Amino acid sequence: MSEQNTGEKRAEAGAGLMQYSTEGMMPFGPVHPSLKEPEYFKLYLEGEKIVHVEPRIGYVHRGIERAAQERTWIKNIYMFERICGICSFHHSLTYTEGVEALAPFEIPKRAKYLRELVAELERIHSHLLWLGLLGHWAGFDTLFMWIWKDREHVLDLEEAISGNRVNKSYTTLGGVRNDLPDGLAERIRTEMAYIEKRVEYYKGLVQSEETLVVRTKGRGRINQDVARKLCPVGPLLRCTGIARDVRAEDPYASYGDVPPQVQTSKDGDIASLMTLRLNELTDSCRMVRETLERMPAGPYRVNFPRSVPAGEASHHVEAPRGELFYFVKSAGGSTPERVKVRTSTLANILTATEMLKGHALADVPVVLTGMDPCFGCMDRISVVDVDKSKEWTVGGESLRRYGIEYYRRK
Amino acid sequence: MDLVQVVELLVFPGLTFFVFLAFFFEWLERKTAARMQGRRGPVVTGPFGLLQPVADFFKLAAKEEIVPAESDTFVFRWGPALYFAAPAIGIAFIPVLGSQSVLNNPLDLLFMLFVLTFSTLMATLLGYASAGRYSTIAIGRLVIQYTSYEIPLLLAMVTPAVLGGSLSIEGVVSAQSSYWYILPAFVAFVVFIVAALAELEKPPFDIPEASTEIVGGWMTEFSGNALAYIKLTKNLSYVFLSALAVSLFLGGPGGPVLFSNGNLQAAVYACYFLLKLFAVGFLIFAIKTGLARVRIDQAARLFWTVLTPLSLAQLALVVLLR
Amino acid sequence: MTDRPRRKIAGALGEMFRTVVKQPVTAQYPFGKTSLPQRFRGKLDVDPVKCTGCSICEIVCPAGVITMVPVGKKTIGSRQVDIKRPVFDLYTCISCGQCVDDCKFGALSLTQDFELAVFKKKSLVMEKALKIGK
Repeated sequence: MSEQNTGEKRAEAGAGLMQYSTEGMMPFGPVHPSLKEPEYFKLYLEGEKIVHVEPRIGYVHRGIERAAQERTWIKNIYMFERICGICSFHHSLTYTEGVEALAPFEIPKRAKYLRELVAELERIHSHLLWLGLLGHWAGFDTLFMWIWKDREHVLDLEEAISGNRVNKSYTTLGGVRNDLPDGLAERIRTEMAYIEKRVEYYKGLVQSEETLVVRTKGRGRINQDVARKLCPVGPLLRCTGIARDVRAEDPYASYGDVPPQVQTSKDGDIASLMTLRLNELTDSCRMVRETLERMPAGPYRVNFPRSVPAGEASHHVEAPRGELFYFVKSAGGSTPERVKVRTSTLANILTATEMLKGHALADVPVVLTGMDPCFGCMDRISVVDVDKSKEWTVGGESLRRYGIEYYRRK
Repeated sequence: MDLVQVVELLVFPGLTFFVFLAFFFEWLERKTAARMQGRRGPVVTGPFGLLQPVADFFKLAAKEEIVPAESDTFVFRWGPALYFAAPAIGIAFIPVLGSQSVLNNPLDLLFMLFVLTFSTLMATLLGYASAGRYSTIAIGRLVIQYTSYEIPLLLAMVTPAVLGGSLSIEGVVSAQSSYWYILPAFVAFVVFIVAALAELEKPPFDIPEASTEIVGGWMTEFSGNALAYIKLTKNLSYVFLSALAVSLFLGGPGGPVLFSNGNLQAAVYACYFLLKLFAVGFLIFAIKTGLARVRIDQAARLFWTVLTPLSLAQLALVVLLR
Repeated sequence: MTDRPRRKIAGALGEMFRTVVKQPVTAQYPFGKTSLPQRFRGKLDVDPVKCTGCSICEIVCPAGVITMVPVGKKTIGSRQVDIKRPVFDLYTCISCGQCVDDCKFGALSLTQDFELAVFKKKSLVMEKALKIGK
């Protein structure tokens, strides 16, 4: 993406966002029915074949890291879980565990098991969501409806535990906010059995249904060399055969006691991503059951001091999309000094654009979905001045002033 | 052309009847697709949601029509009317009340082919006149899809004509009094259904209209009244092609004679026709709901390498055994 | 993928027909009842009797829903201090329940009411805690 000369790049960057004049360039987004969140992919086409892709991010940038500096430690939990709707619990989990590592603070064992339980439930719901969306974007609405129908079972479980389906607000500093309700353990086992049965059916379906197979087999193929060069994370990495999983390598919550079986698949295309995620689904169901059985009795929450001692801590978890990384810095006050979030989609986006090359336009939604994009998690703004080779991050106020100046000059 | 014929042409079993049938087909399609997916489909507008397609039509008609600046405004504005006219005339040649249709001609099967070709040509023209980025890609796909499915469709339609010894639809319908042509020409029926799916741009062949890839396909830039009529025309083509399948392969309105009174028998014939129409409709709904969308090159490969030889073989078989 | 199932066209057909005969899963809201779990976090409610005006809820609320308003004065020792009671701007509330967790007197709770659409924002401002002792 740096092969173009600097003059061209500056001209294009200065000409405004929706650039139509480049010949053979098809804008995919920012507003497009196939993207859940806005991102701008410039597809350079020859006929229907894609030769080059330039992503342009920053449309959902909300300034959350900056807003975190003005809120207390507990208030930030509620903000961070709203970065993403699908991996919401993992965001709040990483944040609370990062802050607890700052203290350093030991939480009760039961709380760790409960955290793992809800985290795996969220992984199940996220993978089911992804598979349904893949069906929808391949034109197979029926698969979408069926899978989301099954996903409702998992969402109802999450609602029974935490009170809300999406932004669960379940972790807090010092543990979790409430224990499992009575009688839910039995219901969880029943639902897990149901999900496992349905996942078996879908495994058979996605491998045998002709129209789905021709859309996904051989599409978006990457291999281990591309993976080592571009560093994707999560299922996108594991589908090339490289077995890396944060839950296994650096256990958090109770993953030391109930570890995952790291799944991989070999081919590196969308079809193998589907199989991989379905296998991860079965594994998550197993982990939920094991967590339930081995959960120790005890308190689920302990008191946490209102202000956190000074220091730096970083923590990473395996969100459904890949490695989610938080860096938390405290100056000893009641608000954090700096929180930095690096989500998995930011690591995966370059690999996704690499996957798109050589494919037809019709494959774009399917291949882009393959990396399970969550642009809401990902956005950040950097300004690169290629002439002076300087790079800096703009704050909200200077960006606002820049925008006013820019349009006044136009 | 006397008054009775005009009424027949415009009301029953002509345009108004088929337009209501088109709305009803859309309702049926949405309900069966919903039930197969575990949902309910339209429930609120009218009893069982029957008025939902009508409500959608009027909602679209009430919206503002936005004409893009770079488009060919004459074609953009008046094209949809021509697009509607194609199947609207075609349905007049389908026999509903007996072996006589409202308009007939000894060569009207060829006219049906012309109508189908004209529909696709108008769609291409409309997409081209829109001058939008997504429309341009869509009409490229549409033209490829059309050239792929036209030959199998043609061959599949000619097979019953050969069996019946007539190039008029009435002749084919009357010739099916002893047995329906789906029996000797089953392969042609299958080819016809698959090619009809491609003509109607339904899954697995809804490539030109792929809403998740190119927004609205060739219909992207249309809004308001024009879009209302385009959607109505798509539903009308749905009914038209199903009615063609019924006439060519399932004996049209033919069936056991129950009454000696001419008018009552005509009503019975109409009921047979509707029953067969819904049967073909359900077949198409089931296929459309259960399959994903294929890519354009895969669709072309399917039509050229599989369906064309199949339909050729069927035609040869029928000619030889005649 | 070790053993690959045989590829077939319309492999979803069987499941489609099985789904047709089952009851559809759509909940007919608002024409039918929906069941909510016991822990559902809906609209906030306050018990004016239990509230002592300690202001902890105002401090911990992440959304800035609560404003403590002086409703009277009392004497502590030699000073006059304000008696405060909370006013809740429920249109900002995200129903997180942090105030419920932190209220030492159990005055706050989350109900199961979620139908909060109103025509005027003012109708969602809850001032019932201003009445002391009622």
